[in-house]
Amino acid sequence: MRQGVVTLFTLLALVTPLAAMAQEAYPSRPITLVAPFPPGGVADLTARPVAAAMEKVLRNPVGVVNKTGAAGAVGMQYVAASKPDGYTLLLALSSISIIPEADKVFDRPPAFTVDQFAPIALISADPTILVVPADKPWKTAKDFIEDARKRPGQISYSSSGIYGTLHMAMELLSHAAGIRLRHIPTPGAGPALTAILGGHVDALASGPAVVLPHLKSGKLRALAGWGDKRVAALPDVPTFKELGYPDAEFYIWAGVFAPKGTPEPVLAKLRETLRVAVGEPEFKGAMDKLETPIVFKQGEEFQKFFDADARRLAAGVRKVGRVEDKK
Amino acid sequence: MLETLGNLGAGFSVALSPPILFYAFVGCVIGTLVGVLPGVGPLAGISLLLPATFGLDATRAIVMLAGIYYGAMYGGSTTSILMRIPGEAASVMTCIDGYAMARKGRAGAALAIAAVGSYVAGTGSIVGLMALAPPLATFALRFGPPEYTALYVLGLLVLAYMSSGSMVKSLAMAALGLLLGMVGIDQMTGYFRYAYGVVELGDGLGVVPVAVGLFGVAEILASAGQPAPPEVIKPRMRELLPTRQEWRESGWPIARGTVLGFLIGILPGSAHIIASFVSYAVEKRWSRHPEQFGHGAVAGVAGPESANNSATSGAMVPMLALGVPSGPIPAVMLAAIMVHGVAPGPLLIQQQPQLFWGFIASMYVGNVMLLILNLPLVGLFVNILRVPYPYLYPAILIFATLGVYAVNNSVVDVWIMLVTGLLGWLLRKLDFETAPVVLGVVLAPLLELSLRQSLAMSDGHYRIFVQRPIAATLLAAGGALVLLNLYSFVRRGLDWRAKLALAEKGEAQ
Repeated sequence: MRQGVVTLFTLLALVTPLAAMAQEAYPSRPITLVAPFPPGGVADLTARPVAAAMEKVLRNPVGVVNKTGAAGAVGMQYVAASKPDGYTLLLALSSISIIPEADKVFDRPPAFTVDQFAPIALISADPTILVVPADKPWKTAKDFIEDARKRPGQISYSSSGIYGTLHMAMELLSHAAGIRLRHIPTPGAGPALTAILGGHVDALASGPAVVLPHLKSGKLRALAGWGDKRVAALPDVPTFKELGYPDAEFYIWAGVFAPKGTPEPVLAKLRETLRVAVGEPEFKGAMDKLETPIVFKQGEEFQKFFDADARRLAAGVRKVGRVEDKK
Repeated sequence: MLETLGNLGAGFSVALSPPILFYAFVGCVIGTLVGVLPGVGPLAGISLLLPATFGLDATRAIVMLAGIYYGAMYGGSTTSILMRIPGEAASVMTCIDGYAMARKGRAGAALAIAAVGSYVAGTGSIVGLMALAPPLATFALRFGPPEYTALYVLGLLVLAYMSSGSMVKSLAMAALGLLLGMVGIDQMTGYFRYAYGVVELGDGLGVVPVAVGLFGVAEILASAGQPAPPEVIKPRMRELLPTRQEWRESGWPIARGTVLGFLIGILPGSAHIIASFVSYAVEKRWSRHPEQFGHGAVAGVAGPESANNSATSGAMVPMLALGVPSGPIPAVMLAAIMVHGVAPGPLLIQQQPQLFWGFIASMYVGNVMLLILNLPLVGLFVNILRVPYPYLYPAILIFATLGVYAVNNSVVDVWIMLVTGLLGWLLRKLDFETAPVVLGVVLAPLLELSLRQSLAMSDGHYRIFVQRPIAATLLAAGGALVLLNLYSFVRRGLDWRAKLALAEKGEAQ
């Protein structure tokens, strides 16, 4: 229902004379925050508290619209083509830098490119962790990597889909450690988890929140994390960085973007809004319940993080290449 | 057992508390509406309502969302029976015999049987959910890609039995459906197939627009093309209730549909859709009058409508017992409780007994509410048939278009509906069945992905399908089915030759 209302407002806003708009202070009408994934996923669950907190700070309606399809490409393309006026924003995950690279690999016209967006702020960043079924022999990441070296292509892992976040994390590790694993793509993070719980694959890179209950119940074992630092909830699990693989760094992150060409005063206002918004107790509470740590970066700092992440992912996608080309 | 009853008692004290009762009722009402509206199904309904549950607590949220899910299964049959438009994808099979019953003036009976069947299945399957959740969930996890591949192959073979006319024609339609299901991103390599630069086609053809197009839009086109407008049915009040004969004919189908739906529901995938297809095939196979199917067989409504309802409870088994979503709808429901800080997982039942048992009890209560809600509505809905077609059909078309658009906010889906509507009209003119096309569209992505995942697991060796006991058993069952079919085919062939020989003899005389 709410989506309909927001769409209606957006349509009404479009017919408002442009001249009148130029003089109004931003924001003077409802803002749409596009989540390019369906309700219930990371993007949606982050977008809703972000929108609620922004609404409170701006004293202006901020609505979440799920524009889903094609692994997020539909929603991102939609925002890239929107009017750069600060009324259509995007809550993106790292797939924003993966999709254009994958398009390049297939020589197809990209649905959008990364430089069509102006980064506003990073909201959260959660490193993935490597988990294996508890009945497997590997007790440490070292055991796992050594065994993978001995049996190239024999140890299997499930992922959230080809070029998906969970796939890229594993590819970065394989690249850094010089190992080859067997990839079993599934349609999402849920099915990927089901596959490892059912014992159909040997390993999984996953967000910590998703696997914590299964680590506690003893069905899975965590070997190492992709983060810069250890995960707070898993203080005994080392990072690949500590183990000597600094290139195996990967985060499932969420950030807010505007279409390129959005005026600088509007961007500044949005940065300031988000800075205050992430400090709101309601927002902190909502993210706590999702067990997702808030990592706020804006301006230069976010741009640097984003560029480094995009570089790593682009290298990862290129390394994977076209799957059937490397039999 | 005693402990279960005690827990259930505690659950009822939660479920019957006014706030929970209220949210269950709201969920059931929304579910019925979502089911009745063509296009908008339970997934769209739950997704739209998810943000509204963030302000509630976890128990209330999940009680309301589950109400939408099983409520939609009650409402879904309404437009299928009255207008041959599936209210949601799991009611596709109901279109066939339900609509035929309506044309014979038995719309009220069909609606009443669908409601009672849904009630029996809903309630019966909760018993299963309550008693068997943990062991069944563990069993369901043993279904990996090879097992699914075997299961889907078996499903397609069962389809061969479904055809009322020529088997070749219905297999051709299933093949068409499988081909249409190939559209979209290749899940294993990331290639776009048959997308022609349309990003939205990357997700493939949705089941909802295809089903609404093939059944609903095609029906409207077909009626519009008739030289004389179809007669407006004027249902009389005393004809609303099923006859004793109709009750008798629906008893076993409801029972079988309940068990079947629950078992299929446990397995991940679009279970409630597949459950209704399989139930229809089983009923037709077991019926003493298979020739009635397609012409208003009561069992063809009772079985699938029960199966899709009990499949919803089945789908909650892995969700509650293991915290593993068995499909997109349970995934959204899991998200709803995660937002409230309740971690889904194997420890949920122990750590949150109030939530689990309150939820179970609320489903008993919700099914009673839905029965009370739906039976009187039968009288009301049937009156839709009194509306003259020049008003009724444009109105249906508007609702179908709105519903299909609302699922993904996508105009591309509306186009898919219109194109498949034209296709469905053409196929009807040529005397092809369209239900196998829908089944093909549902199964193609699932079958393809599980087959290729299996081969990735085994490094390309097909022996993985015989090495794993469950997969091997399922495939053996499929093989037996084919042999049985061949046997009767050959025998029929003999009969035919024998008859021909007799005829020749006759001529000779």
